Amino acid sequence: METEMGFSRFALFLFTIALLSSPVLSDLVLSKVDRRIYLTSQIVRYTATLRVENEGSELVSEVLLAFPELQAKNLAYLTVSVNEGKGKQKVSTDDLPIEVVSPKNMPPAVSFYSVTLPKGLAPGDSLTLDVMAVFTHALQPFPEKITQADIQLVVFQDSAYYLSPYAVKVQSLSVKLPEARIESYTKLENTKVHGSEIKYGPHEDLPAFSYSPIGIHFESNQPFSNAQEVEREIEISHWGNVQITEHYKLIHGGAQSKGEFSRLDFQARPNVRGASAIRYLVATLPPRAHSVYYRDEIGNISTSHLWSDSKKTELLIEPRYPMFGGWRTAFTIGYGLPLQDFLFQSEGKRFLNITLSSPMVELVIDKLIVKVVLPEGSKDISVSTPFPVKQWQETKISHLDIDGRPVVVLEKTNVVPEHNKYFQVYYKFNKLSMLREPLMLISGFFFLFVACIVYTRADISISKSSASYLAKQQWEEVQAAIQQVESIINRCLATHDKLEASLRDLSRTGDVQACKAARKTADGLLKDLSKELKPLLAFLQSSPSASQILPKVEDLVAKEKELQERVMTKHSTVVDAYERKSAGKDIENRVALQQQKITALKQEVDDLMEYIDEI
Amino acid sequence: MAPKPIASPVPDAWYPTLAVFMLAVGLVVTASFFIYEATSSRRNRSLAKELTTGAVASVFLGFGSLFLLLSAGVYV
Repeated sequence: METEMGFSRFALFLFTIALLSSPVLSDLVLSKVDRRIYLTSQIVRYTATLRVENEGSELVSEVLLAFPELQAKNLAYLTVSVNEGKGKQKVSTDDLPIEVVSPKNMPPAVSFYSVTLPKGLAPGDSLTLDVMAVFTHALQPFPEKITQADIQLVVFQDSAYYLSPYAVKVQSLSVKLPEARIESYTKLENTKVHGSEIKYGPHEDLPAFSYSPIGIHFESNQPFSNAQEVEREIEISHWGNVQITEHYKLIHGGAQSKGEFSRLDFQARPNVRGASAIRYLVATLPPRAHSVYYRDEIGNISTSHLWSDSKKTELLIEPRYPMFGGWRTAFTIGYGLPLQDFLFQSEGKRFLNITLSSPMVELVIDKLIVKVVLPEGSKDISVSTPFPVKQWQETKISHLDIDGRPVVVLEKTNVVPEHNKYFQVYYKFNKLSMLREPLMLISGFFFLFVACIVYTRADISISKSSASYLAKQQWEEVQAAIQQVESIINRCLATHDKLEASLRDLSRTGDVQACKAARKTADGLLKDLSKELKPLLAFLQSSPSASQILPKVEDLVAKEKELQERVMTKHSTVVDAYERKSAGKDIENRVALQQQKITALKQEVDDLMEYIDEI
Repeated sequence: MAPKPIASPVPDAWYPTLAVFMLAVGLVVTASFFIYEATSSRRNRSLAKELTTGAVASVFLGFGSLFLLLSAGVYV
């Protein structure tokens, strides 16, 4: 019923066109048109090879392509290129610019696209054009509701004659179906069926705007995966990573499922019960993708597989349940890519060169939003895309940010895998801005240290005249004095060590003068140090809170003095002995007693120092 | 002029090693800072020494924590 109504609608269309006298456009004639329509997936792909001849007397610089308006509504992608090869050799050149035009005096309900020829077509010359068009949502499921056990049948409608504003001399049409099962198709004369291919034609000498509606009703079990919204976020970090996060909202775009779903039937006989369900999706990621994850609102989804080789990384994901007609699901995929594969530097600007659309195979996207997040400090941002998209800028606050990162947002509707081309985002970035992030961390840590310093120096006691406060203050002064005493004693001990070293030097080199000079300097130093010690000792004696520690300190000072004297005598004995050139053993005997006492005293001094330290 | 690929100023493979070394040095300097704070008496403390120790410690800790974040996969 639906199909018949559809047919009658197109018949009316044909009638309308035939009524209007077709105007003579320019003097172009299409001498040969070969059309191929591929219905092997949910996306309808259409290629046409047109041989255009200029039979007029003027140079023609544009060719008009016509599509019925209903078809043009579903048109997602259109390219035309000039085919320069001869015969079977096909050599395509760059795409020609195409514009939507609405010329006057044309039949209604037809959309026109004007293709600009680069060199123009001279009179008498001919040219071969390759037209490639991709249509989405062009297959209507019929019946519209099926149960789990029914097969999915879809209808495709088009015209057997090529709709064109020019007369066509010879044309043929070939329709390729996914399976050999055809429910019904319009039979014209010259229609042949070979397996899963239907050939209409060849038809000869048809006037402009000739149209003959055909409909094909066939089985298609290809997965009708349709994403209603895909949000793809590309975040660049100059420390070496491009992180891509994609959010999908998927729906099965085929015949709606009615009745119940039996999991048992589906798993036992999947080809009979649920042949048209979406069981998995395949995504082709760039090579060297790492940290791939697949999750949704509930959590991680573990039914996935990843294979990688040097040219690509393939990800196969299974949704949480097989999707039947009208069922929806939502999930997120994320992965990281190495920076040097995608970010380049040229002429003072940096640019990101990356694919625009989703990496999923054969996915129809109703609304695609691509967000490119550039590092903070990027300026002069501009985008260059191979086809027009809607774009605007936003800000995103992310890790270690002050104001936020600039985000370029691109939006496109009705996206097919042919749109997955490379696009570039240009921007300027000062290398020093990369230091902003470690500087932020450093200043954070420094603030902690300054807080510690302030805390230890701040005096936060409430009462400044209480007994405990005053006692604490005095004790701190005593501590300071003791520390200074300790440092002086350490310096004295160091001088003793120097003297001992000079004695060793003497035994090595025999230089008595150097030894005497060392003795003199040591003498001077020790005198200075004992001078420094006097006021400190006086202070300690006067302060009451030092009473406990005072005896130990005095003991220490006294012992140190004794040690000093003994070291001096030993030194002078040895030097004298050298001057008198007495034997080594003799010297040792003389100083043996002194040496013993020295070592004992040293030990006591060290013990006392340790004790004082621990206070 | 063919475009030149841009990579990180520090090679990726060094991130974990750099993180460990810088954090270790930073923690050692922090320890010396706190030892100085604890053992010196109020009058003997010198602000210059405290500030320099704190600055050196915070530089090492800052870079160490940056490389720690990068090696963990949080590309800031």
